[in-house]
Amino acid sequence: MKTHINVQNLNAFYGEHQALRNISVEIPEKQITAIIGPSGCGKSTFLKCLNRLIDLTEGVRVSGKILVDGTDVLDRGIEITEVRRKMGLLPQRPNPLPMSIYDNVAYGLRIHGTRDRKALNEKVEHYLKIAGLWDEVKDRLRSPAAKLSIGQQQRLCLARGLAVEPEIILCDEPTSALDPLSSQHIEQQLLKLSERYTIVIVTHNIHQAMRLADYVVHFYLGEVVEHGEASEVLENPKDERTRAYINGTFLTQIKIDTEVNLKGNKCPFNFVYAKQALHNLEPGKVMRVIVDDPMAVTEVPRGMEADGHKVLNVKQINSTDWAIVIQK
Amino acid sequence: MDRHTEEKLFRVLMIASLLIVVGSLFAVIAVVVMNGVSALSISMITQTPKGGYYLGKEGGILNAIVGSLYLAAGSMLLALLVSLPAALALQREYIGKSKAAYYVRLSLDVLWGTPSIVYGAFGFTVMLYLGMRASLLGGIIVLALLQMPIMIRTMDEVIKLVSVELKEASYTLGATRLETTAGVVVRQALPGIVTAALLAFGRGIGDAASILLTTGYTDRIPSSLFDPAASLPLAVFFQLGTPFPEVQQRAYASALILLVIVLALSMLSRAMSKKFMRNIIR
Ligand SMILES: Nc1ncnc2c1ncn2[C@@H]1O[C@H](COP(=O)(O)OP(=O)(O)OP(=O)(O)O)[C@@H](O)[C@H]1O
Ligand SMILES: [Mg+2]
Repeated sequence: MKTHINVQNLNAFYGEHQALRNISVEIPEKQITAIIGPSGCGKSTFLKCLNRLIDLTEGVRVSGKILVDGTDVLDRGIEITEVRRKMGLLPQRPNPLPMSIYDNVAYGLRIHGTRDRKALNEKVEHYLKIAGLWDEVKDRLRSPAAKLSIGQQQRLCLARGLAVEPEIILCDEPTSALDPLSSQHIEQQLLKLSERYTIVIVTHNIHQAMRLADYVVHFYLGEVVEHGEASEVLENPKDERTRAYINGTFLTQIKIDTEVNLKGNKCPFNFVYAKQALHNLEPGKVMRVIVDDPMAVTEVPRGMEADGHKVLNVKQINSTDWAIVIQK
Repeated sequence: MDRHTEEKLFRVLMIASLLIVVGSLFAVIAVVVMNGVSALSISMITQTPKGGYYLGKEGGILNAIVGSLYLAAGSMLLALLVSLPAALALQREYIGKSKAAYYVRLSLDVLWGTPSIVYGAFGFTVMLYLGMRASLLGGIIVLALLQMPIMIRTMDEVIKLVSVELKEASYTLGATRLETTAGVVVRQALPGIVTAALLAFGRGIGDAASILLTTGYTDRIPSSLFDPAASLPLAVFFQLGTPFPEVQQRAYASALILLVIVLALSMLSRAMSKKFMRNIIR
């Protein structure tokens, strides 16, 4: 595992209030690192330090070192625009620029010197495709970005960020404003992108962290209390506070009593079969369902909860299949 | 008094206020139209005053129409050139939160409220000192000074409303402060900036006091920036001041022309603002 971002003794103050305390973590290259932790523990502040967006906030003091490819991001002497170009940021709420869909993606390319019309066209198409938006917008590239749905806007922001060819993608709760299907879309893109990019994602959703993360950092009141391989931290946390935080939303040890494979079934049949299988179980027993219909990923858990069962986990297990764990 | 009576009373009050506002606008238009429309003719807008025009003989006020358009357009462009950068400089990214910005805003607000005759007197004094004659250039500069506080403060307020998230979007792509300001902030604030410019244009084309001493008045159409120029507000003033009823009617006709120009402009801006609003992020 190669370190891409090396954070050493990072402190951040808003006036008198210390939001980050002596943070030291190493973020691995070309993997997904999830930052989890309760509200107000400094996750967003941490992300904003990484690309120094925090400079825009008044009265902030930051100390420590953030080494990316050997340069210290916090060094006042460096060219900060170049650092920011290297780190794309996907915000909590999509923030398209006040221009057309095309220009949103071309904006970053233009400021970094691509002027040639043909090259621009090619790149805009390429990155819209990567973000999974091309098919939906290819006939209306000149219409305002503000007209897109929120989920589409978020994918546009992803395309826009990728277009300037970053090495790192920072995401601050990128799916919290989105509906389940759009969230799933973004998650799938992130999983694909993790082959080529270092991704840091802030999330409140432990399930999301489980689905996506290779590495997990747990923040608590401005401190890093635990960090390590995702499987280690999420399933077998060493720190008491991490355990409490994870157990608050998720059961780490689940005994699966039965497994049902519903691949190839479409909604609502997969739901009906899952219900039948559950019918034969005793209350309290746990069943794992494998599905490959994207609709089922949101609809089956929803239906099960409506029937009074408990959905323990929804996790993508490979590029097509999802596992849903349900307790009767 | 029970609550329903209160409700009714307040409604009557609101409707009455609206009627007063709209009513006085229509009264102004009606007086101008009734008195001026009979004197309105093609020659009025296609000819300059001939000898004896002010005694009721042949001619028109083309000189004043052209002069006013030159003055208003010239001063608006000049003011815009200074005001946009000034308004941007007042933002957080630049001197924004400093004491200096506070005082700049304060002085602009004072200047906004300063009567235009004071600008005229100031311009006249400076021109005397420099040995300049009354000229189109002098008028354009003084009008621009008059418009700047309006433009800067109006733009300042609309630019302030551009959200931080939007700026962050630009910065995270590696944009500089200038690129963000010119490429994103100005675009987002464009409808407001256009409104500010038109507000200033309206003030410029309608003002008489500031150009009385600085631009003078002439029956000829100015051929250079250093010639004196006529203007519609002064044309109204001079014609109304004559003892001849037919010339006074022409004053109303001139006022009508001025009204039409202002009205046409605000219609145009309404139509254009749709286009400017297209890309705005709400
Ligand atoms: N601009 C600011 N000025 C002052 N204090 C701030 C500012 N932004 C954040 N803080 C404080 O810093 C601490 C960390 O905030 P931060 O936004 O990083 O938390 P977070 O972990 O992202 O929370 P959430 O999960 O709710 O987004 C909080 O106590 C917050 O009140
Ligand atoms: Mg946050």
